Amino acid sequence: MDTASFIRRFVGLILLAAFQIFLLNRIVLFGYVTPLFYIWMIARFDSSISRSGVLLWAFSLGLVIDISSGTPGLNAASATLLAMFQPALVKMFVPLERHVVLVPGPSSMGGRAFAGYLLLLTALHHTTYFILRSIPLGDWTVIILKIVLSTLLTFVFMLVAEMFTAGTPGNKHS
Amino acid sequence: MRSLLDFIVRHSYVFLFILLETLSLVLLFGFNDRQKMAFMTSANSVTGSLFEWRTDVEQYFALRKENATLATENARLRNLLYELVDSQYVDTERALSVDDVIVARVIDNSVRKDDNYITIDRGTRDGIVKGMGVYSPDGVVGTVMAAGRRYSVIVPVLNGRTSISCKVKGSDSFGFLEWQGGNPYVAQLKDMPYHAAVAEGDTIVTTGFSSVYPEGIMVGTVADVEHMKNGYTLRIQVNLAVDMSNLRWVYIHSRMRDSEIDDLYRQIN
Repeated sequence: MDTASFIRRFVGLILLAAFQIFLLNRIVLFGYVTPLFYIWMIARFDSSISRSGVLLWAFSLGLVIDISSGTPGLNAASATLLAMFQPALVKMFVPLERHVVLVPGPSSMGGRAFAGYLLLLTALHHTTYFILRSIPLGDWTVIILKIVLSTLLTFVFMLVAEMFTAGTPGNKHS
Repeated sequence: MRSLLDFIVRHSYVFLFILLETLSLVLLFGFNDRQKMAFMTSANSVTGSLFEWRTDVEQYFALRKENATLATENARLRNLLYELVDSQYVDTERALSVDDVIVARVIDNSVRKDDNYITIDRGTRDGIVKGMGVYSPDGVVGTVMAAGRRYSVIVPVLNGRTSISCKVKGSDSFGFLEWQGGNPYVAQLKDMPYHAAVAEGDTIVTTGFSSVYPEGIMVGTVADVEHMKNGYTLRIQVNLAVDMSNLRWVYIHSRMRDSEIDDLYRQIN
């Protein structure tokens, strides 16, 4: 990875973390639902980064959010887990002959496949996140409600973000 | 041997994953001492300044409403002052005590967690000490849990650790205010004596026993009275007077507890 893309990714990490900490963490619908939009960065990792690189970026992102929101380890753990499975998730939604996907996106994967990929990715992350957060596990209906509703909200955020970033330089691959 | 090395190099990311995940979980479970954690994350200067900056921006947009609230309170205080002047009455107990009020700005707050904390922009250099009572114009907010140099962390009513001595206004029966999570507008008053005359709509105020709060600070109103099965005590649902989700300025009651009281307690125990 060259210096330019490292810096771009680093700035992206800081901006996403700040957006999550100062804005999204304050959103609480019905006392349960919080969008965890920061995983957008993990969803968009392209295959040019090594798997170790993906893990380290995701871990750092989670840790930055943890340190500023008083939840040491919580976001780091769930983001790292997601980063581990992200490449496999991409493969699940792309036909075998197109395994050379660079950036996961609607143009490279197809709109429907990309939406499915985002939804599954979000669900995986939110499940680990809310289970870890709710330890010692108490009321399962509440935990499941938090997972399902927050997943949907984060997913909506991602679709909106996709609409805004469509056509920008980051999307030019494929 | 060579193929083993190859395998390790090719799958180094798996080891990295295990390392990072272990590190995260150690952090997650290692920092369960919430007191230490809240202090580490909020009262330290770096995040403190960031929160302060965010609050600055937010409060700029809320200035109009803020002004209205301050004006209302000003009016109320002015009324109180006139009443005092009119009555020519000197409350000797109050005059002799070393009451002092510090005003602080809320720079971080939460209401949705099981254990919520509030961070304010006053610390030891402003005279804040652990254990001081915190209230807003509307009523009781909580107790100072940790004081840093410039910032302090407050355990609000909306926290499982809270227990505040309260009574029904106009009577002397008292109980302890606690919160069990969930609804941020309702707390429970426990251990009220069975015979206490309490009705829906009654006002709950602080007792002033612990000298953490002055006597008679508003807590809330009675929403529901439940007779406990043990036959001795009542459990009362209290609608909190303070909207914790919309807290901008608080007062810290810095009356120092007379050390003689502490000494006496130490002799007993």
